[in-house]
Amino acid sequence: MEARVKADVRQFIVSSWLSGDERGFDEQTDLQQTGILDSFSTLSLIAFLEDNFKVQLDPADINSETFRTVNAITGLVLAKLARQGTAGAVEKP
Amino acid sequence: MRLDRLVTPWAERAPDRVAVDGADEAITYGELDRLANRFARVFRANGLKPGERVGVHLPRSGRAIAAMLGALRAGAVYVPLDPGSPPTRMGLIAQDCGLHHVVISPSLLASWAAAGVCGSIEHFFLSATGGPIEVPASTRTHAWSEVESANPAPTEPAGSSPDDLAYLLYTSGSTGVPKGVMLSHRNALAFVDWAADQIGLSDGDRVASVAPFHFDLSVFDIWSSLSRGATIVIVDEATVVSGRRMLDRIHAKTINVWYSVPSALVLMLESGGLAERGAPSLRVVFFAGEVFALKHLRSTMAALPKARFFNLFGPTETNVCLAYEVTAPPAPDAPAIPIGRASCGDVISILDPEGRVLPDGQVGELFVDGPTVMLGYWDGGRRTAPKRPYATGDLVSRRPDGELMYHGRRDHMVKIHGFRVELGEVEAALHDHGCIQEAVVFAVEQQLVAVAVPSDPTVSVLDIKRHCAARLPRYMIPSDVRLVEQLPRTSNGKADRVRTKTAVIAGDASLLRPVQRAETGKES
Repeated sequence: MEARVKADVRQFIVSSWLSGDERGFDEQTDLQQTGILDSFSTLSLIAFLEDNFKVQLDPADINSETFRTVNAITGLVLAKLARQGTAGAVEKP
Repeated sequence: MRLDRLVTPWAERAPDRVAVDGADEAITYGELDRLANRFARVFRANGLKPGERVGVHLPRSGRAIAAMLGALRAGAVYVPLDPGSPPTRMGLIAQDCGLHHVVISPSLLASWAAAGVCGSIEHFFLSATGGPIEVPASTRTHAWSEVESANPAPTEPAGSSPDDLAYLLYTSGSTGVPKGVMLSHRNALAFVDWAADQIGLSDGDRVASVAPFHFDLSVFDIWSSLSRGATIVIVDEATVVSGRRMLDRIHAKTINVWYSVPSALVLMLESGGLAERGAPSLRVVFFAGEVFALKHLRSTMAALPKARFFNLFGPTETNVCLAYEVTAPPAPDAPAIPIGRASCGDVISILDPEGRVLPDGQVGELFVDGPTVMLGYWDGGRRTAPKRPYATGDLVSRRPDGELMYHGRRDHMVKIHGFRVELGEVEAALHDHGCIQEAVVFAVEQQLVAVAVPSDPTVSVLDIKRHCAARLPRYMIPSDVRLVEQLPRTSNGKADRVRTKTAVIAGDASLLRPVQRAETGKES
């Protein structure tokens, strides 16, 4: 799961804001210092995450730390999935 | 004084000195003076009246200059037409300013005829032997022999006022319809004399003609040279496309005064070997028309340690109104070089949108008044004087030492999500990157797009974003960065922002070929 989330997030960022040019980019690249994420690109990244992974992000989830790198975003998504998964498991039976 | 009277004194004093050293032929001052008289007589004999326009559609050459001089001596107005533009555009211009007389080369006439735009022209005068070319019955074509064999004695002077219209320069209006800028003898001479005085131009000098004749830079090349008895060395259309050929021409012809857009100098640096070969004959380099990236200016100055460098500034409507002599290479941390102070007798002011004078350091619009300000735009011959002072649309600020700094075009200001973004400022940040040769920036649907030509194939989009992020506020970092092999150019040799933008929107990859990406081989 982690690998899939990581690959999807990475692919979305590279195709949206790097013209598909992956050179020099990896999971630890600082997305703010490199000018990739600003308030508007962050909004479209949130929309992508919510849509692609079916997670619900709260304002509290979104800060410069959770959105600093692909790894951090992956961590956030996995944490959300885990919590929603548990919640779902409780409600279903 | 008038432009058409500059040559005769030199023709009398030094008839055998070369006035125009062309690609195909050299013309002496004596020959130029006589050929101009021949043109004037042939024009008049074919119905040209004072104040009418004469189109000159020729490659840059002594004959083209003689045709312009001849038009002025007949009391008429010359209109230089771009040999590189499509004939349909020439048709538009001919219609706009009511051209009935055009001096043209046989091959260009063939292209007019093929495009079917000869309609309004009554007389074509061929600049060389050629033909026959099929033209409409209402149009007469005059062979070169008719001009060549005309009486070379001076004609009765037809015009006497320095305030007469001398030439029309058609600029591409932002709307796509060409606009004719009307310039008088006085307008031209204010700049011509000022520039010649600045550099002590004299009869021993060899001045390059690099800029097309429909571009205002050529006013210096032609008229400053002729006013001081210097030799104009044509750096022809086939030469200016190659850095190596341009530099070869400078060496072979010992050109010592040069005026061009920075792009031409960059071309000699990047592909002509300027840094290694130098150009010891050059004593003066004027540049204008676009921002000279500082790293390239430094390299050019290092390659030409003995030359004086001047940054000249002004729209076609005012020719040159500001000038700055670059006396030392700019420091590595310098943000830009100034565009200087008022020149040519002009008076400038920096105003806010309400017309209030701004204090030093604040950015406002540049207004110009004085002898170089045009008579107006051609509007069916009506002389509608421009509002004075003339609003240039350029954003500038004044430094405490009195030098002006350039901040881009007012109309290059866009709003991205409510933020004001000066596109020139984003471009300047990109040019600051050591591996970007040139770049244009524009907005498409609230997104900043940068199209850049890298000089190093290992430079990545991420490198460029990181570079911008270290210099610009977030909202000014281009979200879409394209790396391409080259940018489309205007007929003046500048990067063509409009066509670049159109190609991006249309997804036209033929005009903007992506670069082959190379790996750096190391972690960046």
